[in-house]
Amino acid sequence: MKCPICRKEVKPGSPEAPFCSERCRLIDLGKWAAEEYVISTTVRPGEPEEDEK
Amino acid sequence: MASKEVAVEVYDSSSIKVLEGLEAVRLRPAMYIGSTGETGLHHLVYEVVDNSVDEALAGFCTQVDVTIHLDNSITVVDNGRGIPVDMHPEEGVSAAEVVLTKLHAGGKFDSKSYKVSGGLHGVGVSCVNALSESLQLEIWREGYTWEQEYVRGVPRGALARTGKAGRRTGTKITFKPDTTIMDAGVFNFDTLAQRLRELAFLNKGLKITLADEREDPVKSHEFLYNGGIAEFIRHLNRGKSVLHDKPIYFEGPRELPNGGMLTMEIALQYNDSYGENVFSFANNINTVDGGAHLSGFRSALTRTINACGQSAGLFKDVKENLTGDDVREGLTAVVSVKLPQPQFEGQTKGKLNSDIGGFVTQFVNDKLTEYFDKNPAVMRKIVGKAIDAARAREAARRARDLTRRKGALDSGGLPGKLADCQEKDPERCELFLVEGESAGGTAKSGRDRRYQAILPLKGKILNVEKARYDKMLAHDEIRSMITAIGTGIGKEDFNALRLRYHKIVLMTDADVDGSHIRTLLLTFFFRHMQELITRGHVYVAQPPLYRIKKGKNERYIKDDKEFTREILKRATENVGVEYEDRRGLVPLTVRLEAGELRSFLMSLDEFQQFFRQAERRLRDARVVETVSNPMFIVDSKADFTEKANVKALFEALKALRIEAEMVADETHSAWAIVYRDSTNAERRIDVELAQQPEYKRLRMMARQISKHNQAPFTVVRDSSREVQKNWRDLLAYVKNEGMKDAQVTRYKGLGEMNADQLWDTTMNPEKRTLLQVRLEDMVECEEIFSTLMGENVESRRRFIEENALDVRNLDV
Repeated sequence: MKCPICRKEVKPGSPEAPFCSERCRLIDLGKWAAEEYVISTTVRPGEPEEDEK
Repeated sequence: MASKEVAVEVYDSSSIKVLEGLEAVRLRPAMYIGSTGETGLHHLVYEVVDNSVDEALAGFCTQVDVTIHLDNSITVVDNGRGIPVDMHPEEGVSAAEVVLTKLHAGGKFDSKSYKVSGGLHGVGVSCVNALSESLQLEIWREGYTWEQEYVRGVPRGALARTGKAGRRTGTKITFKPDTTIMDAGVFNFDTLAQRLRELAFLNKGLKITLADEREDPVKSHEFLYNGGIAEFIRHLNRGKSVLHDKPIYFEGPRELPNGGMLTMEIALQYNDSYGENVFSFANNINTVDGGAHLSGFRSALTRTINACGQSAGLFKDVKENLTGDDVREGLTAVVSVKLPQPQFEGQTKGKLNSDIGGFVTQFVNDKLTEYFDKNPAVMRKIVGKAIDAARAREAARRARDLTRRKGALDSGGLPGKLADCQEKDPERCELFLVEGESAGGTAKSGRDRRYQAILPLKGKILNVEKARYDKMLAHDEIRSMITAIGTGIGKEDFNALRLRYHKIVLMTDADVDGSHIRTLLLTFFFRHMQELITRGHVYVAQPPLYRIKKGKNERYIKDDKEFTREILKRATENVGVEYEDRRGLVPLTVRLEAGELRSFLMSLDEFQQFFRQAERRLRDARVVETVSNPMFIVDSKADFTEKANVKALFEALKALRIEAEMVADETHSAWAIVYRDSTNAERRIDVELAQQPEYKRLRMMARQISKHNQAPFTVVRDSSREVQKNWRDLLAYVKNEGMKDAQVTRYKGLGEMNADQLWDTTMNPEKRTLLQVRLEDMVECEEIFSTLMGENVESRRRFIEENALDVRNLDV
């Protein structure tokens, strides 16, 4: 799989997995700390309300 | 290399001054050459070679040959001017003998003959002579050959003219280190090669050869670099992936205020690593501790990169200026200066003290700015790399802040929001991470406080424009979570033995928002506490989505599919459906019952879901109904290139009085239908639509239901018969029947359950189902996360709609 930060290929089972390096791990942790990871759901005007499926 | 004009003064015995005697060297060798071991031994060679390089710097020598002989003696030959041979006015012996026997004797102390000189300790070749059991000197100068021999520094006779030399000039010194003084006696080829290569880089155009006669055949290397230190940079960066192809290189002289010339040569190139690899030299001496030249270079680099980045507008989202560390990440550089009478600090000349920092700074500022102006693409890459470094530095600072123990912690060092359990044995303890304060409150009342702990996490945020819901884990929440779990994070800090709960249960709403929080939490665990997952400590709770109550009978249902199945099961218990199959020659009445009926109705329900998805795109139910009809051949791209296929669909739409047009789709060399929806916006039925997954699934389901989908339908129960005009009405009617007399509750969130219900359905170990999160599931989760975080808004939107991030994506 790929390092979430720099997208370099990371071998499974490598000590820093899923990151390629301690540096990328820290950058990622910094992003969590800075609340940069946000999942947004768009509320689209005029969209029919989700009714009972 | 310095030009010929540099040294025009007469180089003869008058320029050699005698400062001190030789005896001390044999007594305290380490004081003069550093050590009597390996380093000192090789140092002897460098001392002799440096004499030749000085001739090259002065512009009189183009080649130096070094040979290691069988007996570990060394010969150094150059094609310089040859050491002066005339009589020294003060000493009464030849100038050459003075150079070979008097400490601190040499042309270098008189800056008239050598404007620039290296020489490792200024002790010169006399030291080498003192520490050699034998030394042979041969000089070619003024048309003659001159020779002299020494034993342990003592001449065996005066310098004598022994033959003709013609036009040849130069000096040859052969010496064998005195093994009664030196502890090491065997030369290492690679050590010598490394320094000689370095000298060749630092003195472009100078050819230096090294031959080892101890090897058979003779091992030899030739070092000649016309590119100088720019080639040095290429050598240092070999095998690395570089940010820009060509090293940046400048060279230039500067008149010094006290006379003399400062020559500056700088080369640099960035690679994609995070390290810094910078070498500085003054008069060919590797100043390992830097000094004025290096700090001058560094401050200019930081200043120029900041200034150029600023004026190019590259710092829009960077708060502070880039630091020196930022701009040196991935930097390979060589700074080489040459100046008369350099001042060094320390015995090993590790640091240059001469007051030239300002000149170097100004020189680099000017040249680098000019280079960046001419090469904006390279500048952008370098600035970009430094910005990345600054971000990484900032991230690391914040990351440390995240794991530091401070903030709202109770007396036991635990977060204040945590409702801990009484049990202390981690193996029996469970931590529920609950989305939302209100659900957290319910969970606190409903839990078994002996072994279940609750940590509420903040719910959703509606952003200011009210255009979207944002889901994230707040800084404090991540910190609370890390503290509560107890293991710490990171390669060094993570310790599974400190885990406080062996079951960590994610309890979030069973809707899209809940799945977003769950995705965030799982991604965080996967990235920073992966061992919790590999050891099987992470679980996902399964709160119900529906409650169906009929009389005293109560049933909780976890998802829509199961709900539909349940409703249809209830509805079809004593009901049949009839329709007339008109596809054969004779119309035939078909009756569906029990299992067959249920599976037809389940398919209809699924079809309805795809129908709704398609309706969102096509905005007209009649159009969806028509394009989903298996009678039309409109599945693949090829189908749309066939005019007749599209025409048939077009006619059907026209029959429904939909204002449509059939047009040529030139992009795909196919046919397309264009119509207007209720808002008068243009919609297309074309190849692009056919490639959408939701369209493909719609067509697939339509084929699956087509066998029985022949309206009208008659619902038969006991003696009553109800006619439903189409599949939609049939499905609604039957569902309604299934819910008759039952009380149906759909939980929009955990908070809608009371404490007892939450305990009964989701937390009670006797009744609940927990899904254990496995590492394999996480690869998919990580993919989902990356897509959600990705730059591509359209693919993200589509992804969310298609996957709706159902928790069951994680079931296996």
